[in-house]
Amino acid sequence: MIAVKDVKRIYKTGETEVNALRGVSLNIEKGEFMSIAGPSGSGKTTLLNLIGCIDKMDEGEISIKDVAVSKMKKKEKTNFRRENLGFIFQTYNLIPVLTAYENVAFVLSLLNLGEKEIKDRTMAILKEVGLQGMEHRRPGKLSGGQQQRVAIARALIKNPEIVLADEPTANLDSDTGKEILGLMKQMNEKHKTTFIFSTHDKMVMDYASRLVMLHDGQIQSDRKRRE
Amino acid sequence: MKFLISLAFKNLTRYKRRTLITAGAIAFGLMMYIFIDSLLLGLEIESVRNLKWYETASARVLNEDYWENRFQRPLDINIPDPDSIISKLDKNGIKATKRIEFSGDLILNSFDFGEDGNMSVIVTAIDPKKDFDVFNFDSTIQQGRFPEEDEDAVVMGSWLAEDIGAELGYWITIVTRGNGGFYEAMDMEIVGIVNCPNPNVNRTLIMMPIAVADEYLAMEGASTEVNIKLPESADIDAEVIRIQNLLNEDNLTVMSWKSMAADYLAIAEAKRGGTSMILFLVFLIAAVGISNTMLMAIFERIRELGMMRSLGMSDKKIRIAFMFEAAGIGLIGSIMGVILGIVINFWIVNYGINYGDVYRDMDIGYRVQAIIRGAWNFKTMGIAFFAGIFISTLVAFFPTKRALKMDIPSCLRHQ
Repeated sequence: MIAVKDVKRIYKTGETEVNALRGVSLNIEKGEFMSIAGPSGSGKTTLLNLIGCIDKMDEGEISIKDVAVSKMKKKEKTNFRRENLGFIFQTYNLIPVLTAYENVAFVLSLLNLGEKEIKDRTMAILKEVGLQGMEHRRPGKLSGGQQQRVAIARALIKNPEIVLADEPTANLDSDTGKEILGLMKQMNEKHKTTFIFSTHDKMVMDYASRLVMLHDGQIQSDRKRRE
Repeated sequence: MKFLISLAFKNLTRYKRRTLITAGAIAFGLMMYIFIDSLLLGLEIESVRNLKWYETASARVLNEDYWENRFQRPLDINIPDPDSIISKLDKNGIKATKRIEFSGDLILNSFDFGEDGNMSVIVTAIDPKKDFDVFNFDSTIQQGRFPEEDEDAVVMGSWLAEDIGAELGYWITIVTRGNGGFYEAMDMEIVGIVNCPNPNVNRTLIMMPIAVADEYLAMEGASTEVNIKLPESADIDAEVIRIQNLLNEDNLTVMSWKSMAADYLAIAEAKRGGTSMILFLVFLIAAVGISNTMLMAIFERIRELGMMRSLGMSDKKIRIAFMFEAAGIGLIGSIMGVILGIVINFWIVNYGINYGDVYRDMDIGYRVQAIIRGAWNFKTMGIAFFAGIFISTLVAFFPTKRALKMDIPSCLRHQ
């Protein structure tokens, strides 16, 4: 489903060049629950950003569902992300002036769906992530775990085939982190959505059915866990 | 689109104080715009009215050679039979009056004035029976009265009287040259002091009966001008042509007040231009304020921006959302500005600004004395309202464009 082929990414800061990715190749199948792990600076966020079509690579190729996304123009990438990808961020990135309901529904409004459909789907997904009755609360009135549930609902509402999560539990305590991972796993199994998440937390790695370890911008190991 | 509007207005409540301060800057700019426009319009309306009522009338019949020699005030370039013109105009329902204007030396003697002195003056000889039909001096007498038809007497502008220390009953001598060039000295009693809303008149006016001037100056029934009053609603240029055709006299010309007051109109135009520059600067300052507010708002929300872009919101929609937000600030500012403008306009229209004590001796070009009053101009208020919204929206474009140049990962990393 996702083919990453010899991808290189170099960041330039003045005269200094940092090789964030030094020729990474991997294939990801539909429905995988995959973790990209590694220490800080290993390139896991860069790889996630490249798969998520929000960054440009210097060399290599990425194709998703046989579409060479790395060759797409900016506008095409925006459309592709809108229709096919969901994102979960470490700091949730909810819009503070919108309610939980509005934060989730906004993704569907980008797809120009009718109001009734938006309402039905939003209420359903909020119920699914355990936020029934909290639809009208603003992020400031929700706990960190609840905010991340809103973010998960926001990522899943458009039924994307791929959800990318950058350190989704890094801002949560371990119990809440487990809850969130459990929820993500549940969604992965229920909707067959491919989840790719970055982490450097051992507990989070244990949840993944496939673990790709990065070190200095290269794949150190790629292991699938037997269920 | 509904979502974008809703998001924009919700974001306005995020930093209430900043929104209000920026809207306040817009409101102040618009209020100033409405205030200054009202003041200028009021000045112009009153100046034009005072010009027509006390200086030029609506139109004037002159000897065709008079206008180019008007500063010499020649008595020999005249209208030989003004009464026939007045009669002709009267038959066509047009009110007119004859006048003689001449320059001379005003001699002040120490008996009345405490010391001897002299000064150059312009004297206007009027027909007391008809003049008030055209000019509006009848209600301007401050002390005394207007001279009788054949009385050797004058009325004087109040500022002139004050400047030379003149009082009712004092005598003055006017030395001038009559029609033909002979010297003539006229002893006149001051019987009235006039105070009218036109400062030029108060500053210079000396008025005497035309019959007396006719005799002293050997005018033999001639006058230097025939002044005409036309309705306020009249198309002045068309009326001038009509009167010219009506008179059908080759050596006479009819001039509108606009032609005669071309210097005033030029000054008014220049002042309007200068004021527009000030207003432009006020708007520029407000625009910089809005731009800065939007820049701060955008850079505080860079990570949010990154999130929205990640989820597939196009740059165009993000730009529209921020422009809606700026339009919201503009809307609040415009509403506040127009309300403040109406309040200040109410005051300036009804009470005005009394500048008489400060500027009495200064000729600011406008024919307005002491109190400057504004005028209601709803068109300007409409323009101000929509300009406030439009400028706010427009200036948000540039900071948004700048923010959108950042790549998405940088946006998401932004602290």
